[in-house]
Order: sequence, then C-alpha cells, then structure tokens
Amino acid sequence: VKRLIRLAIVAALAIWAWRFAVGIRRPSSRVAVAFADGSSLELPTASPEFELLAGEARSVLAR
Amino acid sequence: VDAASALTELVRASGQIERAVVFDAKGAVLGSTWAEDAGAQALVDAAGRALAAADELHASTDAARVEVELPEGGFFVLREGDRVIAATTGAKPTAGLVVYDLRTCLAQIDPPKPKRRRAKPKESPEDAPREDEA
Repeated sequence: VKRLIRLAIVAALAIWAWRFAVGIRRPSSRVAVAFADGSSLELPTASPEFELLAGEARSVLAR
Repeated sequence: VDAASALTELVRASGQIERAVVFDAKGAVLGSTWAEDAGAQALVDAAGRALAAADELHASTDAARVEVELPEGGFFVLREGDRVIAATTGAKPTAGLVVYDLRTCLAQIDPPKPKRRRAKPKESPEDAPREDEA
C-alpha cells in the first residue's frame, strides 16, 4: 500500500510539473482564425493582422 | 429559446465567458448580456471589424471564427450562417471550451421566424379572361 501511495504522489508531481512547464512556454498572446472551409491559421505576433485583431480585442476588453 | 435566454444560460454555465452578444448579418443585435445598448453595440462593431479583417486573410472563403487571447483577457467571434456570436473572457481562457460553449449557445437559439406573406386573392372565374372573348 505504501508503495502504491508513493507511486500516486510521484505521478501527481510529474503531472503538475509537466503542466507548469507547458504553462510557462505558452505565449500569453495568441490570435487564431478559422475559415468556413475548415482551414485555420495562427497569426505571428508581430504581424499587422495580429496587431489589428488584438487592437479590436483590447478595445472591447477595456470597456 | 430566444437569444437573451440562451446568452444568460451561456454566461451562467460557462464560468469563463464574461460578456456576450448575438447579432445577425446586418449587425442587428438579437441578444446581449450588456445592461446598456452602447456596450453591446461596441462589441458588435469590434466583432464585425474583426471578421472583416479575418476575411481578408483567405482568398476564397470567409472567416468562421476569430480567437484573440491577450494577457488582459480573451475575445472570441463565431459566425454560423447569418448569425454571429461575440464574447469576452477573463485572462487565460480555455479556447476550445469557450468555442464549444459559444457554438452550443448559437445552436440553441431559435431560427428567425419567416415573414408572413399575404395570400394572393384567388381569381374568381368571372375575372379570368374567357377564351371565346378573344
């Protein structure tokens, strides 16, 4: 039983560490567009389209 | 259900969505969680501009969804048929869940009722031109 509990604790710590690492790597800003034909794209952060859509988002989030 | 009820349920059940508005292809607001019209209209205008900008990114098809995630919150626009739903969320939203909730909300809203057309008055046999008259 002790071994099982130890294994569960190690597994929980591993999952927490993995989620933490993924959370750090994930960029804080993201703009994605999906189209009617099923295709989609994620806009590069420095692009003018990104800034345009992020600007629209900021305008409504600031209200 | 009507748009206002669907949006109320959406915000209650989602936990991530803070504000939402549903509007048609002409920009007419069908329902909103905003207390004042100006807030809803601002969200409609921003969503319309976002969709127009997203449409420019593809040569042959229209944008169906725009997702913007920023440190201060999220902004989502979903277009299905002639209806659009736009919503704002808090920081770090789970985009897949938000999109699922928005899609479910749109599906719950009743389609617009067709306009009633007046039935044409039936031509009486006396009004119809007779063959023997010609």
